[in-house]
Amino acid sequence: MSPLFMGLFVLLGTLLVMATGMPIAFSLGIVSVAALVAFEGPRSLEFMAETFLGGLDDFTLVSIPMFVLMGAAVASSRAGRDLYEALDRWLYRVPGGLVISNLGACALFAALTGSSPATCAAIGKMGIPEMRKRGYPDGIATGSIAAGGTLGILIPPSLTFILYGIATESSIGRLFLAGVVPGIMLTALFMAWTWFAVRRSGHQAYDPAFRWTWAEKFAALPKVLPFLAIIGAVMWALYGGVATPSEAAGVGALFCLLLAIVIYRMWRIQDLVAIFRDTTKESVMILMIIGTSILFAYMLTNLYLTQSLAEWIAALDVNRWVLLAAINAMLLVAGCFLPPAAIILMTTPILLPIITAADFDIIWFGVILTINMEVGLITPPVGLNLYVINGIAPDVPLSRILWGSLPYVMCMLLAILILCVFPGIATWLPDLLMGPA
Amino acid sequence: LTLKASHQWPSGTGDFRDEMIQIIAKELAAANVDLDVRVFPGSSLVKPREQWSALSKGQIDISLFPLDYAAGKHPQFSATLMPGLVKNHEHAIRLSKSPFMDDIKKIVEGEGIIVIADGWLAGGFASKKQCILNPEDAKGQVMRAAGPMFERMLAGAGASLASMPSSEIYTAMQTGVLDAANTSSESFSSYRLQEQVKCMTPPGDQALWFMYEPLLMSKRSFDRLEPKQREALMAAAKKAEDYGFKKAAEADASMVDLFQKAGVEIVHMTAAQADAWRALAKETSYKTFAAEVPNGQALIDKALAVE
Amino acid sequence: MDIFIRSVAVLSRACGFVAGSLILISIFVVTHMVVQRYAFGQPTIWQTEFVIYALIASTLIGSPYVLLLRGHVNMDILPIYAGPRLRFALAMVASVGALGFCLLLFWFGAWYWHEAWSKDWHSDTLWRVPLWIPHLSLPVGMGILSLQYVADILSLVTGRTLPFGLPPKTGTDALVESFPAHVDTLT
Ligand code: NA
Ligand code: NA
Repeated sequence: MSPLFMGLFVLLGTLLVMATGMPIAFSLGIVSVAALVAFEGPRSLEFMAETFLGGLDDFTLVSIPMFVLMGAAVASSRAGRDLYEALDRWLYRVPGGLVISNLGACALFAALTGSSPATCAAIGKMGIPEMRKRGYPDGIATGSIAAGGTLGILIPPSLTFILYGIATESSIGRLFLAGVVPGIMLTALFMAWTWFAVRRSGHQAYDPAFRWTWAEKFAALPKVLPFLAIIGAVMWALYGGVATPSEAAGVGALFCLLLAIVIYRMWRIQDLVAIFRDTTKESVMILMIIGTSILFAYMLTNLYLTQSLAEWIAALDVNRWVLLAAINAMLLVAGCFLPPAAIILMTTPILLPIITAADFDIIWFGVILTINMEVGLITPPVGLNLYVINGIAPDVPLSRILWGSLPYVMCMLLAILILCVFPGIATWLPDLLMGPA
Repeated sequence: LTLKASHQWPSGTGDFRDEMIQIIAKELAAANVDLDVRVFPGSSLVKPREQWSALSKGQIDISLFPLDYAAGKHPQFSATLMPGLVKNHEHAIRLSKSPFMDDIKKIVEGEGIIVIADGWLAGGFASKKQCILNPEDAKGQVMRAAGPMFERMLAGAGASLASMPSSEIYTAMQTGVLDAANTSSESFSSYRLQEQVKCMTPPGDQALWFMYEPLLMSKRSFDRLEPKQREALMAAAKKAEDYGFKKAAEADASMVDLFQKAGVEIVHMTAAQADAWRALAKETSYKTFAAEVPNGQALIDKALAVE
Repeated sequence: MDIFIRSVAVLSRACGFVAGSLILISIFVVTHMVVQRYAFGQPTIWQTEFVIYALIASTLIGSPYVLLLRGHVNMDILPIYAGPRLRFALAMVASVGALGFCLLLFWFGAWYWHEAWSKDWHSDTLWRVPLWIPHLSLPVGMGILSLQYVADILSLVTGRTLPFGLPPKTGTDALVESFPAHVDTLT
């Protein structure tokens, strides 16, 4: 059987199994096992436990539960509200100031947590009701948070970059740095669109005569300090040579836990149990997918499917930008149905040889891929951020959230285009701080 | 018949361990004995530390990795990455054919694996803080050592240890997590550590760091071959072995050259300094090895007996 | 049968407690390691390895608990739009298939554990942990996960739970109504 035919067989099998609603982790597992037994014989299963455990035996993966806990601890506290309030007192006179404050709070919060749903929940819980109360249209109120939340995986720390770094064996520190400038750029694009849209509609959230006093403006700042301190500490630990990403994540997680307990007074046992339940749930889910996706990658490589596909595409001799567009389109479709972790772990072993052969920079592609995954977080039917928004504002119909977030999706696609034209936006900072790759 | 060869090094960048396996593939194709070798480079199929198990269970047919990777399963293998046992490349060749190595290979065969070619790699020390010549020089430096037995010796010298794969040394040094590192000449060059370090102690005539890195084959796969195929395979393996020995020695010289050009200070250990390290190793690594490994002292003695 | 289903749920919750505790312990160990290495300049020997093993164990042992919470993410668009009979059939195929994989991983995990135990394997680091201890989490976690799947299948067949925990509607109504179920822990 030719490798390409075999590959088609595996692809269809995987989609079919996933369509039944079997958890992604076990779908990948059962497809790997079936393909190995069918094409390599049952003895190949003798190596299953080693492959699975060996794949998880990696200190880099330690950062996943740590960053998840950082997000869960802060998201469950009032921290998001304080952050947003402080920004609002300074930005309330700008058209769409409240939305812009929320986007700014999302970006800052994104620098604390590695996941997008956590960012979305932390800022949205306070921001969405407040924006609706001040008369912003439901579409803008929910759409901006759905989109702003996605910054969680672009602005470091980011679970997506960690997974991509593991799958491509590239430096996670470098990937983190590569996300900084594009993250700021995307935040600016979001804000620019909001400013334009709100100005056009002539909406005003505050009475024109209303003023926050300077005293009130400065009074809001101390509450934000613990945040900025932790962001600063983690960044310093990462890039000041104190620790590896996993170590920085561990210390950051402890700090965030202490922040929630001491400053936000979440010392009741129920609060702590809730934080750890959320953390366990998300980190176990991701790490199980990692374990079985390693079986999946082992199967693909063992049957020579990834290599054959890469050779086949190289032989097609298409223009590299056409290739990149095709890859992006495929990822966008995948993003409709699957969460980022599953997409990255499943597709990277296949995409990496293709991307390398087409002479694209691995770090730069990681940023493109991540923005692409951000789109997937707000496209139905599987869009983690949509679930979060729906939980916060159950009375806003899904269609209105989607229409509201559509312009922000356009901003993301624009950002991908800009990055294609100016790759330096992603690679400049890591090259500056860590030396050329 | 297709044989699967797995290794952990980059392919096509001139890494001689990749080339050794490519030689096997090319020679077998040329021999026309109906043997195909499919190479899976860069840990694309099996992670470095799982290759031993994969060979022993017949999941892959050929591999090339430091035997010390399997020291957790057979502690005797630590002797193949032991401070001060090998002095230079010629000494390494003699050691490969000694009773010491016969003992090691017997254990390898007991796990359903055979050695088809010997290989040794030399390495040294480099620091961005202070040249490492005497044991006292390591004191207070945060160091990365290649192999637990070296970690033990360096800990005995008062160094603070950080464990990481050689691929992370560059970043760790750049960010200041690490002051000094001990790894192979090949790794020093390929990870461009000349950009980070101030001072380098290359292997030279008084090397402390040598690592056994043989070409291994699954016995299950070997037994399946016809006599003609075995003959062709062993001939190819001999070629790869000779090539490997030549390249390993060249790697030391080209590393020194590379570092010198980059303005790194090059220092060589004197016999007395190397002896000071060996004395320290005797108190730390050898002692632990003898205490924890069955017949450990006898193995060390056999290795030290090789002239 | 109720007793079986309920005891498995209790067991899975206990697993969740173990998994969460292992994460908490790991945080302290990582911090301890960072302080010891960078503040006091002392070598760290066991911490890295300990944390890796603890988090692998947290993943494997936490798995049945996450299944109980329906936290293993899936692609549920077809089940959501399927009618009740197809949805039931899909739930059965998905659960039985997943159970099959978990049993295989349990079996080979147990075998691998036995190998590590009988051959006295150690980790190839300075710490030299006997590998049967960390490897134990694979058969234990996958064994309890299989039990939880059996309990889920029993509850499904006897009508104790609805397929995929979805509301008894189909199509967009089910989609909208099922959203909060996905975020119960995030909001
Ligand atoms: Na982030
Ligand atoms: Na989506």
